[in-house]
Amino acid sequence: MTAIEVRQLQKTFQTKRKAAGLGASARALFKPEYSEVEAVKKLSFQMDAGELLGFIGPNGAGKSTTIKMLTGILHPSGGEASVLGFTPWKERRKLAFHIGTVFGQRPQLWYHLPAIDTLLLFGKIYELDDREAKKRIEFLSEAFEIRDLLETPVRKLSLGQRMRCEVAASLLHRPKLILLDEPSIGLDVVAKQRIRDAIRRMNQEEGVGVLLTSHDAGDLEALCKRVIIVNHGQIVYEDKVSTLKRKHLTSKLVEVRYAQEIPSNFHLKGVELLKVGRYGVKLRFDSNQTPVDRVMAHLSGAGDLVDITISDPPVEEVIAKIYKDGPA
Amino acid sequence: MKKYLAIAQMQIINNIAYPGDVLGRSVSIAVFLFIFAGLWRTTFIIAGTESINGLTFADMMWYLMMAETLELGRPRTNRVISEQVKNGEVAYILNKPYHFLLYHFWFGVGDSLMRVGTNIGVGVVVAWALAGPPPSLAGWGMALVTLVGAWVLHFCMMALIGLAAFLVEETNSFELIYQKAVFILGGMLLPLDMFPEWLQRIARLLPFPYMMYAPARLFVKPEPSLFWQMLAAQWMWVAVLVFVLALAYRGSERALTVNGG
Repeated sequence: MTAIEVRQLQKTFQTKRKAAGLGASARALFKPEYSEVEAVKKLSFQMDAGELLGFIGPNGAGKSTTIKMLTGILHPSGGEASVLGFTPWKERRKLAFHIGTVFGQRPQLWYHLPAIDTLLLFGKIYELDDREAKKRIEFLSEAFEIRDLLETPVRKLSLGQRMRCEVAASLLHRPKLILLDEPSIGLDVVAKQRIRDAIRRMNQEEGVGVLLTSHDAGDLEALCKRVIIVNHGQIVYEDKVSTLKRKHLTSKLVEVRYAQEIPSNFHLKGVELLKVGRYGVKLRFDSNQTPVDRVMAHLSGAGDLVDITISDPPVEEVIAKIYKDGPA
Repeated sequence: MKKYLAIAQMQIINNIAYPGDVLGRSVSIAVFLFIFAGLWRTTFIIAGTESINGLTFADMMWYLMMAETLELGRPRTNRVISEQVKNGEVAYILNKPYHFLLYHFWFGVGDSLMRVGTNIGVGVVVAWALAGPPPSLAGWGMALVTLVGAWVLHFCMMALIGLAAFLVEETNSFELIYQKAVFILGGMLLPLDMFPEWLQRIARLLPFPYMMYAPARLFVKPEPSLFWQMLAAQWMWVAVLVFVLALAYRGSERALTVNGG
């Protein structure tokens, strides 16, 4: 079943332009100049119910604008979209009962009050009966590990704690789909991991679909099965995360440790040596040019292996590579 | 309806979180009444009379107490909307299953209840000390009834100004113009009775007297005929402004651009 269907969606903003200085400011008063910014250009994609979809791209790529159109907050300049069968900007309030949203940089919890007050308010806003709301809060407190935080004023919570409460609040009414706009922005590694674990759990246990925008490739790797990469308001890549890694992640990083000292003139054809120590080496190679088995044969023939680690470079590099090479 | 009452209740809880702030703001009504008591006492002494255009010194003090209570307690919807548009929080307000304007209406109710309550408390104590006991029960009754309509009119105007934030973000200048109109044509600083006849006639054609003058004047001079006349005009203006507000909302919704979007 399709949760989101977007066809040729467009959004153009008009922004005021003004040169520097007093003269230009005075002129702009009488003759303002405007320029048009195409934030989203004929975007088309689909998302299945219960899917974990990553929607990533650099700043100004049009990710947040797309999310805001999909929640019905912004009216598009053109195109169509259907979210859970609703046209968001025409049926915003009906749609609101079925989706949850988190805009990572903005709070929805009442800042001076404990999160429990906002959660109970949301229970009434989403028309849950009091007993059901309390039961749901109990469940989410456990899933997001926020039980001890609920009675502390939101302003006194750390960013990581607040974000866990924010995401939990967006799930209070059992939405079929949550749209998370940069949920991990500004969080440390541990806080990110806790949020990702809780989101994954909600996806697995309740089948809630997740559309996630992020700068953080780690979110994508940890959570998403499929990815859409946007740049300048257009899709530059759309495929499974695993395919993305296979096609655009041909470069491998290898770290090897030996039982005995290795020769100082250690070298291998077709690989780039990043670091050569007395007992180990760190190297990078392109698996399209140098077969993995050849590299492994060389490495194991060079001495008694104690440890070996093979890893992919961070996805940020992959995205940069797609931008550089094109999606093909 | 339950959800809207919950929003009002939440804003009351929010205000209770900072009781010192709410009480502190109420001090300004005391300062205002002390200053105006000095001015009107001198005016009555110079005029050498007990009453001016039918209003005594005590009437003036209680009139100003009621007018200032409303001015300090009226909704600040335009500032709330403007701030939400500027910081992008409007995205959360718009994507919940309630009507945007009704959310702000009930948020404003919650906010005003606390402020009007504390202002009346402080205002009654100060005005009593300066001018003797308050007006009759009939005065309280008529004032409270027209206070509701006055508050709704203020809300409509503030929300209309607030919706301009969807286009221009900053709405303080509009509020300043509006505030000055209420100060003068609404009879906040001076009851309309003190105006020349022609200016009174012009003022009564506008919504402003029903936002301020009506409850304050009926409070000190509870005349039934004036009450019904004022009440009818007040709710006629409510109907007009609600209609204009609904139209403006439909138009401005499309124009919204969320910061950072």
